[in-house]
Amino acid sequence: MESERLLLFQFISKCFERKAGVKLSNLPETVNLDTIANNLADAVFLVDREMNVVWLNQRAEEFFHTSSKKAQGGKITELTAINKLEDLLGEVFEQETALKCSYEEASVKVKRHDERYFFKIAINPIFHQGNLWGALVQLTDVTRFHEMEKIKTDFVSIVSHEFRTPLTTIIVGVEMLKEGMLGDLTPRGKEVLEAIGADCERLSRLIDNLMELSRIESGTIYVEAEPTDVADLVQEAVRPLKIQAEKQGIELITDLPPELPPVAADFNKAVWVLANLVGNAMRYTDPGGTITVQVRQRGKRHFFSVEDTGSGIPKEHQDKIFRKYVQVSGPGRKGTGGVGLGLAIAKDIVMAHGGEIWVDSEIGKGTTFTFTFPVFQGGESVTLPEAEEKGG
Amino acid sequence: MGKRVLLVEDEKNVILGVRTCLDAVGYDVEIVEDGGEALDAVRREHPDLILLDLLMPRVDGFEVLKVLKGKEDTSKIPIIVLTAKAEEEDKQRAMDLGADSYMTKPFKPQELWDTLKYYLPEA
Repeated sequence: MESERLLLFQFISKCFERKAGVKLSNLPETVNLDTIANNLADAVFLVDREMNVVWLNQRAEEFFHTSSKKAQGGKITELTAINKLEDLLGEVFEQETALKCSYEEASVKVKRHDERYFFKIAINPIFHQGNLWGALVQLTDVTRFHEMEKIKTDFVSIVSHEFRTPLTTIIVGVEMLKEGMLGDLTPRGKEVLEAIGADCERLSRLIDNLMELSRIESGTIYVEAEPTDVADLVQEAVRPLKIQAEKQGIELITDLPPELPPVAADFNKAVWVLANLVGNAMRYTDPGGTITVQVRQRGKRHFFSVEDTGSGIPKEHQDKIFRKYVQVSGPGRKGTGGVGLGLAIAKDIVMAHGGEIWVDSEIGKGTTFTFTFPVFQGGESVTLPEAEEKGG
Repeated sequence: MGKRVLLVEDEKNVILGVRTCLDAVGYDVEIVEDGGEALDAVRREHPDLILLDLLMPRVDGFEVLKVLKGKEDTSKIPIIVLTAKAEEEDKQRAMDLGADSYMTKPFKPQELWDTLKYYLPEA
């Protein structure tokens, strides 16, 4: 036991040295391993290569209702009831690299006394005399964070519902007034109503996006990947935007080779992604510009790209644009009429299909968004990666 | 005589909007604000078509669908659902219960007219 504690101590002091430049040997004698470990807010375990618990801190004892005596020598998966740890530890031992998952990727759900907890997991391999010895497992309680996310998701869902009813009255009224069905209008009156109508459309679109997002966040979205004809998909996405493009004086070109094999995609969701990218391109392209929708097959993937001759996206914004509620403003970027959800949703949908999405852009030249979908291989359906697991 | 449409809706402003919309193209509209009243009205009046909201106090739209589509004498009356419930599951549930069409709020008058025209061709 002592040697293992020493190992842990060495490990922690190395981390300290690296991160903060503090040598633990220079600290007062009263500050020892226990002081540090037991005052951590996280539950920490030291396990050997067989995934047996060698040591755990006070927080871990409290949380999992155990004592050092009872816990030592037992499997960490049994003690914590987090089965996922087996895979994660296996991965760390095999690759001999640390696993520091983001909140989204590795939060696990643990049920205890009818209460649900969510943990974020981090695993660091420990080496002894050059050989893999075991690992340090750290569980951070992110339950509160999870609850906040849930509240936000529910809120977004409720808001998107509650906006629909009043918007119905407004849209029906405006449309009928606009058409002169409720009496004559002055030219200015008609102009104002046209503007109201356009903004109503904007609100409707926003509500649809919010709802799509809350659906994706609540994890209920189900992506059914079916063999889908690429030409149909492109046609369905581009057709409704053709008239608008013409009005704006933008040339909208589709470029796809004949006889592409089908793509494995959820038709409506894939259409949504492509239409969203083209819609974005139209908002950022000036009259006289061109938007090209291109599809190419490379190996087992189809590459869909939407290229515009718009103002381009500054380098520093390119990473951020796929995040929620992020909008890029700047010279040449017109009022966008959204809240910055489109690309976040597009990314979720593409990733749910097992694809990727990225952007290439140069200021003053234009922007190309590219996403990939797998070429259809056989009967399979894909669900969003579940980052949760039910514990006992 | 215009075709008779029963509007089942509990939001005053939506009622005004939809009624204006239907008046403009010559339908006779009767309005009830609750599912229970809707069932009575159907028995009494036997309308040509029903526009049905889903979220209502007491007897909701799903229940109305279940009752009307489950009975031979009323099952032929086309029912168009008009609702703020935009989730796929709700739509599926309504269609499974026999709804003829499902329109998510907000909608434009033209969409409503087109749908009505489809189910009431001679009007």
